[in-house]
Amino acid sequence: MFHWLEKRPFFFAVAVFVVISFAGLIEILPNFAQASQPLVGTKPYSTLELAGRHVYIKNDCNGCHSQLIRPFKAETDRYGHYSLSGEYAYDRPFLWGSKRTGPDLMRVGNYRTTDWHENHMKDPVGVVPGSIMPAYPWMFKNTADIDTAYAEQITVNKVFKTPYNQEIPMADGSKATVKLAATLDEAHADALEEAKAIAADMKDQDVKDAVAAGQIPEIVALIAYMNSMK
Amino acid sequence: MENRPLEYDYTVAKWFMLTTVVLGIVGMLVGVILAWEMAFPAVNTFAGSGLAEYTNFSRLRPLHTDAVIFGFTLSGIWATWYYIGQRVLKVSMAESKFLMFMGKLHFGLYLLVVVAVVVSLLLGISTGKEYAEFEWPIDIAVVVVWVIWGMSIFGLIGIRREKSLYISIWYYIATFLGIAMLYLFNNMEIPTYFASGGIGAWYHSVSMYSGTNDALVQWWYGHNAVAFGFTVPIVAMIYYFLPKESGQAVYSYKLSLLAFWGLMFVYLWAGGHHLIYSTVPDWMQTMGSVFSVVLILPSWGSAINMLLTMKGEWQQVAASPLIKFMVLASTFYMFSTLEGPIQAIKSVNALAHFTDWIVGHVHDGVLGWVAFMIMAALFHMAPRVFKREIYSKSLMNTQFWIQTLGVVLYFTSMWIAGITQGMMWRAHDEFGNLAYSFIDTVAVLHPYFTIRAVGGTLYLVGMFLFAFNMYKTMTSARRVEESELQNASPMGA
Amino acid sequence: MDIGTIQAYAYFIFTAFLVVVLYAYIYHLYSSQRKGKRDYEKYSNIALHDEITDQPVEEISKNDEIK
Repeated sequence: MFHWLEKRPFFFAVAVFVVISFAGLIEILPNFAQASQPLVGTKPYSTLELAGRHVYIKNDCNGCHSQLIRPFKAETDRYGHYSLSGEYAYDRPFLWGSKRTGPDLMRVGNYRTTDWHENHMKDPVGVVPGSIMPAYPWMFKNTADIDTAYAEQITVNKVFKTPYNQEIPMADGSKATVKLAATLDEAHADALEEAKAIAADMKDQDVKDAVAAGQIPEIVALIAYMNSMK
Repeated sequence: MENRPLEYDYTVAKWFMLTTVVLGIVGMLVGVILAWEMAFPAVNTFAGSGLAEYTNFSRLRPLHTDAVIFGFTLSGIWATWYYIGQRVLKVSMAESKFLMFMGKLHFGLYLLVVVAVVVSLLLGISTGKEYAEFEWPIDIAVVVVWVIWGMSIFGLIGIRREKSLYISIWYYIATFLGIAMLYLFNNMEIPTYFASGGIGAWYHSVSMYSGTNDALVQWWYGHNAVAFGFTVPIVAMIYYFLPKESGQAVYSYKLSLLAFWGLMFVYLWAGGHHLIYSTVPDWMQTMGSVFSVVLILPSWGSAINMLLTMKGEWQQVAASPLIKFMVLASTFYMFSTLEGPIQAIKSVNALAHFTDWIVGHVHDGVLGWVAFMIMAALFHMAPRVFKREIYSKSLMNTQFWIQTLGVVLYFTSMWIAGITQGMMWRAHDEFGNLAYSFIDTVAVLHPYFTIRAVGGTLYLVGMFLFAFNMYKTMTSARRVEESELQNASPMGA
Repeated sequence: MDIGTIQAYAYFIFTAFLVVVLYAYIYHLYSSQRKGKRDYEKYSNIALHDEITDQPVEEISKNDEIK
């Protein structure tokens, strides 16, 4: 039997494939349905937050910052409650990261403010002396891509039934609704409303002017995303 | 047909040798820039603040990993495939116009993909998943390239003269199948442009999996892409090149067959070890740990087999820098396949995860094992494909020692950095409060980051020596006769 | 039976099966070598004698005519 296999490349390849795919089948597939259930209190992202998440990915923030708090005292002391599977239900892709050159950001929205992020992204060393994080001045100039964020919202709503425009139970028993705009123009208008609230807490005049003129710089979207991480 | 004796046709192998060297230098150069950026953040704007967006750490980091994995290593795998494949199957690519065409198409499309990847990563177009950053149009191109390679493998096997497949071919087939499966499943994504009826960027996509599931699939991919990109095909190389260069038969061919099946069976389970203490089910994390430890057996089976192949022939190690490269590579292979399982033990992982120790582990594996083996393979191939002796043996020796020093500096500094940082993160004072703020744990790493950058720079210098030596071999070294090419490669002073 | 139980059984049975196959393979390799049915070690010569003019270690029988 074995020797038969060694001389038949096709069946040999099939055998290799069976052996290597076995682990994946057993390990991954059965838990799929279970792991994708959202935790109570977890909401889908708004258009502006999602655009901010794209800025986060575009600049590979996850290359240096994790979004995964492990269940150790040292980590919960530093970053807050350890992560639960259901909290990631709307994260596509996941952004756990693999390296903590900088601190974890899973719950950064709980302890950092708009104003802190603004100063920090402009001049990390000015806010955290000794920081080795580079500055991100271009985020104050580049415009956030609201169109693509909106397209992604439509896609996940349509394909994965992500609950937009639906009441979602919150941890305190109340209900919340995340809006999915009916048209692209409406999405822009909603994002701009959100952006204005954030720009009001910012100091950079160029950013304020841009938002007043209906433009949303990347930094505003990024801060909206960071503030949503709780 | 002209009336001349049949020869192996190395055209495609030569082209891939070229990209191996070029992309190796690019990938490692970017890596060295990153290393200096971490030691001295001012380097982030080395090309001026106007270009900072494209030279800063976070934008360059995926370019480094992808250039080294999919540029340098993959080119090396294909260069050796188009060399070894013909030889152990005893069939020339010149015998089939179709396979020759496919080989050339393979290279051409691969070049296009490389260009698309470099441009898109610099622009920040990314899916956000490590080593799978490419957006869907590139993914499709990658699949096409991969299918062409598969046709080349099975096409060449189809017209072979040697009935049994040599062990290296087994490993190439496993590489092909493994990566195909992993890549396809991990890159399942939906283009948002089409799903939303034409809104937003056309190249953007969203992952089919969310959160924890995405993490599971990603690390099933991430770990096993290492398995099938950095282990399996490199083992294929050493099983051919070490016996060939030393003139010694593999110590135990049976052991090599066993180690193969052992590796196939165990490796895929080990992916779970990237997710220890995360939110994936507990039993899976435990499986990840256990199988990672079991993985030592097949890995060492191959490595020991290689070292025993040199039994009684150790004078060759002293005499030939080429053999030195390969013996050091298999030593590093043993070393990093011991280190990996240690890091996968739960309590060790609690300390090591997210630290520089992991970075150190990756690099002693890749610099010490993968890159050394690929360079040795290219050194062995050069005299055969260019019909010239290797330009300079002393340059090879110099390169060997510079790069070895570089690797040692790299992993020792990262070990210390990783363990220091892990210990500081978890340290509490006598009142139960955290002893250090995060920035304390960053500042303390500065000297190790600097040593690492020096180590990386030395390695890069070695790469330049390698490129120079290869260039001279190709263009101006002494021509050699077939008779000189039996085993040990001819080398100039 | 819930999915977790099925998963556990499938895992156990398949692992046990593959372990048995692996050991059977070891037995096969060494016993066929000892009984002289097949010399596995000769295959390492495929790498050592790999010039296109060399005689294959085991020739494909139907492929005697060289194209």
